Amino acid sequence: MANVREKKEVSVGKAADFAVGQFKIVEIDGREIGITRLKSGELRAVRNHCPHKGAPVCKGIVGGTWLPCGPGEMVYGRDGEVLVCPWHGFEFDLLTGSELFQDKPLKLLMYAATERDGEVVVSV
Amino acid sequence: MDTAAVPRQATQFKVIDCDVHPYVKDGLKSVFPYMPEAWVQRFMRKRANVSQEARSLKYLHPNGAVNRDDARPPCGGVSGSDPHYLVQDLLEKNKIEHAVLNCLQTGSLCSTLASTDESIVLCSAFNDFLINEWLTVDNRLKFAMSVPSQDPQASAAEIRRIGKHSQIVAVSLPLLNILMGNRYWWPIYEAAQEVDLPILVHVTGPDSIFYGPPISAGGIPDSYVERYVTLNQAGESSVNSLVFSGIFEKFPRLKVIFVEYGFLWLLPLLWRMDRTWRQLRHEVPWVKKSPVEYVHQHIRFSTQPIDEPRDPKDLDKLIEIMGYDQLCFSTDYPHWDNDMPGQSLRGLPSAERQKIFWNNAYTTFRMA
Ligand code: FES
Repeated sequence: MANVREKKEVSVGKAADFAVGQFKIVEIDGREIGITRLKSGELRAVRNHCPHKGAPVCKGIVGGTWLPCGPGEMVYGRDGEVLVCPWHGFEFDLLTGSELFQDKPLKLLMYAATERDGEVVVSV
Repeated sequence: MDTAAVPRQATQFKVIDCDVHPYVKDGLKSVFPYMPEAWVQRFMRKRANVSQEARSLKYLHPNGAVNRDDARPPCGGVSGSDPHYLVQDLLEKNKIEHAVLNCLQTGSLCSTLASTDESIVLCSAFNDFLINEWLTVDNRLKFAMSVPSQDPQASAAEIRRIGKHSQIVAVSLPLLNILMGNRYWWPIYEAAQEVDLPILVHVTGPDSIFYGPPISAGGIPDSYVERYVTLNQAGESSVNSLVFSGIFEKFPRLKVIFVEYGFLWLLPLLWRMDRTWRQLRHEVPWVKKSPVEYVHQHIRFSTQPIDEPRDPKDLDKLIEIMGYDQLCFSTDYPHWDNDMPGQSLRGLPSAERQKIFWNNAYTTFRMA
């Protein structure tokens, strides 16, 4: 089919080495890809290149955020599901890759990542 | 602005970066060798040190650091504290040919955090430290030397002491809450003009936080984000003050560069200044031509942080209206809000972009 690239699967290391809330950055075909584990155990593989202005986004903070709320309130949520770019601070949802709370969100470039036979495999 | 489709790349042309912040690694201890023993003892006795950021609680950066975490040198220390790593991470990666260093640790001490006497000693010590331990690392590193602005005479003496150093390209003037057209500043302008150095102004850190530096108009902001947005205001007031006080008639060779104050505000400011001058010129008869002309002749503005209208073409249009001779590219490395050359002002025609990335700075700073 036109426009569909053949994906290739690359093993990036032992599953046990991918900790919750931390990115491990690997290079595949000259592209830096950060892999992290969510609290649910699911893996995320993210191109280490912020869609805003190209910062190494996987070196940012992984944590939660303060959800939109009324003046004077403060509600913390999404713990462990938010990636904050280390440059201009744009926040990305690690579940979907979308920039948070924007009408026209930027999107992280994400790759499928799975565990197989104790290894983490990324499709690029 | 979505630039995702375009890979990170260096520009094809030459770049001068007008705003790079070196940090002195071990704080005051590092500069002790550059000051008299009596002062070393004085600072040791009071257990003085210098922080990275002069902030009260409410203005701490919401993500914990103004300096980029991802720019920390591999050998340790805060980002911006290792000249060798800075050359590699900023200059080499982005093909920057000259980077103008401006030390905000010195700036915040001089504007606010140190007493007048302390600031005079510390300013010379930080300047000498950077001359000896940074400028010698790479000739591409240029330096906006600081002055202890709480004492204009001492500032002028500092300019005359080191201002002829070949890698010093500007005088970084830590602003106080005294407008730039005030006669208070005359000795500094005189000395700078004497050695052909432009005056560079940049927020020093304690602005709108403590008494001493400029404060935002109308009252004290309540959060980092609110304060950040108002920091350009001192730039506007200063341009206005410089022109109407006749500073450029008094010091006809003086040049001033406003760094990190933004620039889009210049357009309505100049329109307003020009019209008001036509109406009331006779109140300030030393202003002999339109304010627009003084600004074009004597004042430049650095680009970062570049405003980002949702449609990037709006920015290109506004710059076209402003003209391309006013702006000088800057990164603000290693701060969180830095702009890198490969991603900046991509919509402008390339000849005009070259002016902003090179020519305008080259003719403003004392490069030759
Ligand atoms: S580069 Fe990531 S927010 Fe700007």
